[in-house]
Amino acid sequence: MSVVLDLDGPRTTTRRLAQQAWNARELIAILARREFFARYRRATLGVIWAIALPLLQAIVLAVIFTRVARLPLPGNAFVFVFSGMAAWAFFSAALSAASTSIVDNSQLSSKIYFPRAALPLVAVASNAFVAVVNVIIVLIAVYASGVDPTANVLLLAPGMVLLFALTAVTSALFAALHVYFRDVRYLVQAGLLLAFYLTPVFYPLSRAPGALDVIVRINPMTGVIELYRAATVGADAHYGIAVAISIAWTLVIGVAAVRMYARFDRVFADLL
Amino acid sequence: MSGESAIRLTGVGKRYTKYEDAPALVNTTRQLLKGHHRSHLWALRGIDLDVNPGQCLGVIGRNGSGKSTLLQLLCGVTAPTEGRVRVQGRVAPLISVGVGFHPELTGRENIYVNAAILGLRRQEIDRKVDDIVDFAGIADFIDTPVKFYSSGMFVRLGFSVAIQVEPEVLLVDEVLAVGDLAFQMKCFERMRAIREQGVTIAFVTHNLTIVRNLCDRVVVLEAGNKAFEGAPDAAVTRFHELLAEVREPEGSDIGWAVHKGGIASIQVEGLYDEGGRTQSLRAEADVVARLVVNAVAEVRDAYVGVAVHAADGTLVYSEPDLATTLPALAPDGTLSIDVRLRPTLPTGTYSLSAGLYQRPTGPGKAIQLAVAPAVSFHVIGRPMVQGTADLGASFEVVGTVTDDGQSTSVR
Repeated sequence: MSVVLDLDGPRTTTRRLAQQAWNARELIAILARREFFARYRRATLGVIWAIALPLLQAIVLAVIFTRVARLPLPGNAFVFVFSGMAAWAFFSAALSAASTSIVDNSQLSSKIYFPRAALPLVAVASNAFVAVVNVIIVLIAVYASGVDPTANVLLLAPGMVLLFALTAVTSALFAALHVYFRDVRYLVQAGLLLAFYLTPVFYPLSRAPGALDVIVRINPMTGVIELYRAATVGADAHYGIAVAISIAWTLVIGVAAVRMYARFDRVFADLL
Repeated sequence: MSGESAIRLTGVGKRYTKYEDAPALVNTTRQLLKGHHRSHLWALRGIDLDVNPGQCLGVIGRNGSGKSTLLQLLCGVTAPTEGRVRVQGRVAPLISVGVGFHPELTGRENIYVNAAILGLRRQEIDRKVDDIVDFAGIADFIDTPVKFYSSGMFVRLGFSVAIQVEPEVLLVDEVLAVGDLAFQMKCFERMRAIREQGVTIAFVTHNLTIVRNLCDRVVVLEAGNKAFEGAPDAAVTRFHELLAEVREPEGSDIGWAVHKGGIASIQVEGLYDEGGRTQSLRAEADVVARLVVNAVAEVRDAYVGVAVHAADGTLVYSEPDLATTLPALAPDGTLSIDVRLRPTLPTGTYSLSAGLYQRPTGPGKAIQLAVAPAVSFHVIGRPMVQGTADLGASFEVVGTVTDDGQSTSVR
């Protein structure tokens, strides 16, 4: 008689929520594996695509930014752009998959209880492999570009931690909102499209376009990308502030997400 | 609050909001402008329930009576709007088995996914995976993607996983209705074994045979309220009373079914057993159907017949009483006829009707003078009997067959 279900209303305490999420860690891992392998199951090349696609994207960007459009970027142009892309591509892919995850898995979640936050986290985790592949490509590019790598490359580690944390909390929040407002699916698509240009992916933070400068600076993803930059082509003068802003966003979104789940975790199924 | 009960519900109610089929923004705006709120619907209200460990609870009720909502509350998929739900022990819902199966993944991979969803640790799954494959009986296909499975194989695998989770509380929703007969029997036996191990079972079903064979106690839900709680037989009877109450307007309100000629009418006045008037019959006991014939004009050379239909409209039985000619009736004359029947039928709902016929004066067909409105009744069949008729089989082992094909008598 270990597990006890005791419900007298829809609200779940934060502590219980955390405990349930922790207990679901193996479930998240198994479901993420399912997502990942099922995605490539029918393809002849199978999981090779998980490496081939990011690689192809890197090659295309390398050709464009070193041969076609020679932008005045600090350091190696390809390393500069791809270190931004590596973080952005993961954020974008994971968030768009995760934001609809609770609704998409309604046949699962309307039949059996598990912490609903597991579903967006599964979507994030199943995309994590690509994020890791991207970071490896960044590392190879740094060494191949002939720049003397410094101890700064170690900043990729906190960069990835911040990227995963920010993506996870944002995904969880949007997935919960999407149950109530089915417009979220489209708002996320539109928002990501817009945010790509408001994030310093292919321009340095110091040269953010005039009037939009403030928006670029308070963009939650800016700090993550600046950490990646600091690890590769060298940091922007104000990258510390950008990182602090990203951490602050992660905490704020995280608290909002926890409050959402504490209130609605047990009644999501009513609306699926 | 005592920790004795495996399942305890106190004053539980669940309210759903009815959503209009318009975009949320439009609805919200409309509500803000008009200032009225969304309409609500109580799917369940005021439910108290106490199930001790090892008990098997059956839940029956018509569609929309709140059965599924109750099950959802018990497995924690949704929280009650009011009241309190407490379930002790690991809960495994056998609700639509195979939940979370991914068509592209193999049976074995899906076992891991499904078992993890049901709350098993990876190590536990590693230990049980062979038993699961074994019980499902699909070892040859276990490394094939489940999309190539037949629906039967799919269900077998799903059921096997759920049953191997070794839950302390098992919630079952109509799963035994699927799979072939052999596998159904296997599942049924397993459910019995599980119950004997002291697992608490809550069963939501339309299969009244299972309710009567497996459950200790049965709750009848009607429109979100508990209409009855008690012994299975009594609950089944109450359930059929509820069904009959709903049918009544179609039947008796129509009144006398009078033939075009308006010569006479016939009615099934009621069904009687030793205990008096009844609607719930036992397959083993005789029942008397009392027919009443009312003549409008003079009736001569008449006879009656009865017919029994199953709930789906299938004719189960009909027989005219050609041997007996009714006494001639003067206008306004009334006649009462008792028809003794033995309803050797499987558990289910049936209807009985009667007809009044007139013998042809010369060669030719009989004339139907009147047909009685059908009266519905319920039969509590012999345990385990399924199908459309109870042929009362008796089984006897008469001998063994030796290797050379000779049979030897046991006796």
